[in-house]
Formats: sequence, C-alpha cells, structure tokens
Amino acid sequence: MSDILTVVFRTFMSHTGLKTDLAADPPPPAATTRSALVVGDHSVSRSVLLLAAVTAASHLGLRVMFFTRTQIQSLPASLQKCVPSLSPESLKFLFSFSFKKIKFSYPRTVEELLHQIASLHESTNTSPTPPSLIIVDRLEGFLRGHSELHPGEQSCAAHLSALLCDTAAFLTQVLEKRPSSSGPCRVIASFRSQEDAGQAGGEPSATDPVLDILDRYFQVRCTLDQDRGYEAAAAGLQQVWNIYLSGRGIADASDTKDCEDRPAEAQEWQLLIYPDGLMEFKVV
Amino acid sequence: MRSRLPAVAEQLFRDIQKTYEDTSQSKTREVPGHEADSRPQGRTKCIVPDDLLIALKFVFGPCALQALDLVDQRSVTCLSSSSGRKAFQVIGGSGRLYTCFVSCHYCPCPAFAYTVLRRNEGLLCKHILAVYLCQAIGVTQQESVSDQQMSTLLSGTVAP
Repeated sequence: MSDILTVVFRTFMSHTGLKTDLAADPPPPAATTRSALVVGDHSVSRSVLLLAAVTAASHLGLRVMFFTRTQIQSLPASLQKCVPSLSPESLKFLFSFSFKKIKFSYPRTVEELLHQIASLHESTNTSPTPPSLIIVDRLEGFLRGHSELHPGEQSCAAHLSALLCDTAAFLTQVLEKRPSSSGPCRVIASFRSQEDAGQAGGEPSATDPVLDILDRYFQVRCTLDQDRGYEAAAAGLQQVWNIYLSGRGIADASDTKDCEDRPAEAQEWQLLIYPDGLMEFKVV
Repeated sequence: MRSRLPAVAEQLFRDIQKTYEDTSQSKTREVPGHEADSRPQGRTKCIVPDDLLIALKFVFGPCALQALDLVDQRSVTCLSSSSGRKAFQVIGGSGRLYTCFVSCHYCPCPAFAYTVLRRNEGLLCKHILAVYLCQAIGVTQQESVSDQQMSTLLSGTVAP
C-alpha cells in the first residue's frame, strides 16, 4: 500500500505539483503491500488521505471508498492550488471527474462502519466497477466509542482491521477477473495513538495497545512526526513533518527478487506545510 | 506478530493434508507404534501420525487437541454468497457460532481476544485452527447464504 502513498508524495513534490497530463507518468510497479496505516496528527493525516483519494482517482483512475465520521468541509490547499494554470471552471471539471470516482460515506458508529465495509461485496457496490482503494479516516474515533459488539477496543480494532483486509482481498479477486483490471484493492487508514495525544498534552508516552493490534493487520505504517525545530519557522514554513514508512510490507518489498531491476522505494520523506496551507513533499 | 501463519505452521498443514490424502487412498487404519489407549481418541487424531500431532501441540499449544475435537465433530462450515464472498463459521464447544475470515486471522471468541490479542501467547484460537485442519483434510461443510446475510455475518451485527 505504500505505492499509492509514494505516488501522492511524488505528485505533490515541490518541483512538480499535480500533473495536468494524467498519462505523463506510468503507474508505479505493482506493489506486494496492500494495507497502510497513517499514524499521527489527525488533521495532517486527513489531508494525506484526501490527497491519496484524489490522486488515486485522477492519476491512477481507481474507484475509491472514503469512510469518515466527520463531514469534509474543505479540500487541502494543495488540491486547490495544485494546477494554477487551469481556470476555475477547468479545475472544477477536473475535480468533478475525480470525485465521481470517490464515494464518501459517513458512518456514525463502529457498527455502521463494520456493516458498510462488510457490504462492499454486494452488487450495488461492485457495479460497474469494484472499489480499488478503501480509505478509513480516524480509526480511533470509531474504536473509542461505545460498541455493543466488543467488550474492548483491542477486539474491536482486530475485527475492523481483519474485515478491511479480508474485504480488500476479496475485491482484489473480483478486480483481477475484469479485463481492465485495476487491482489489487488497497486499504489506507489513519489512526492517532494515545502516545501522540499524550505528547501533545505533555504527558509521558506509553505504548498504545490498539496500535499493536492494528500493526498485526496493516503491512505498512506511515508515521507522521512533527519537526519542532526552529528551522521551520526560519524558513517561513508553518509546519514541517517527517514521514517514515516502516513495517513488514516495506521489508518484504526490499527482499523481492526483482528489487535489483527497479530503484528502492524511498522510506523517509518530509512534508512542508506553508502558511497558506499548501503541502509539499520531498525525499529525505 | 502477523495476522497470517508462520511458515512452519503452513508446512505442518501441508504435511497433514498429504498424510490424509495418502491414508484415504489406502485402507484407513490406525498408525501403529503406540498403545491405543495412550493416544487421544477421535477419528482425526487416529489418522494424523504421532509426529504431526506432537508438532501441532508444540506449535499451537493446548488449543490443538480442542481444535481436533471440533474437526471430529465436523464443526466448520464454509459459507458462500452469490457475490463469491466466503467466510467460515465454526460451532464452538458451547454451541455458539463464530464467524472467521478467509484471508486473515480473526475470531470473535473470548480466547482469541484474550490469549492471542491481549496476551500475545498464542497464534490462533481453537476455532481458527479447526478451520485450517478441516481445510487440510477436506471435511469442511458447505453452505450458501444470501449477499445480505453474508454482510451481516461478516460485520457481526446479528448472530445467525
């Protein structure tokens, strides 16, 4: 799953911006990883998820399911300013085309979320094309609410994660049978651990048991770590974030036999956020 | 900890499958070499050689024999819906039904939540292990359900 995230980072690198020619870059090599967990500040992770959804829809032509509890009021500034050469009408058309491939769903509880994900195999969701990317924003918001199904957060986290992985595996089988296959089906979710919340509040960090459970099911962890040094302010940036890609999905990709035929995927990036909200990524 | 089997466990199930296939092709008989009353009872336990039984117990711990009991009781059913989606349903010792996934490990039973998830002391619960064993020796029951029933079972919102 780090392949789509890497496409996002490359797409919004400082020297390229969003490409207006969708065929300019070939899609990245097929990845063996299919699930990624973005861990960190939820406002930044949400922006990354939205960028991933639009990039997947517009750049890769994938159908996307986006689950979140909170209504999306605005797009990241990077999307709004990504194509300065286009007129507002053309930009609106571009996003209209992209957003036709993205279905937003707003389940209020974890039970609703479970049922909506479990229903993705039904014909109403696989016609005309099954989704190739499932995104779930702010898992912690779903998991830490009251659940009648599960006595604890860990069991609930395992059920939700396993259902996501199993659903993606099934949809991959469906996609691969189609002539114009856009498989495999991938999953990206965001999660803010108690450790992150504790650090923001000045409390000592502790291992998050829910994150341990999520790591069982998600192959790649994309960690967002804010750089609180003075260089960000000195450079006129609002925020600087370090992005680390880790997990068995990264290790497995490095061990594949064909790794000598293509360059290794960058595992460390940096996200620069400007005062106007513009986001740019660069390889470290 | 992965949500899938380590290689040693996968090899163990392949060995059990091969042994069962070889035994099925020849006349079914108990594996000699031990006193009958020193070996656990049950059809599956008689078919599986001692070395593989020992390996099962070593890899999976106490739930290995409990899983073999579930296999003998033919407790595992593969549910299929018209969309092609599949899931496993296991009848537990208390008669309760547990829905398990095809492609990764999860079971709603208390043992999975406590021993596997919370304490990280086991690879699987007996229900998931029973699924693997039934698949290995070809004794999984088959049943069809509607797409909507499948969605309900996978989400765990209503017990069947």
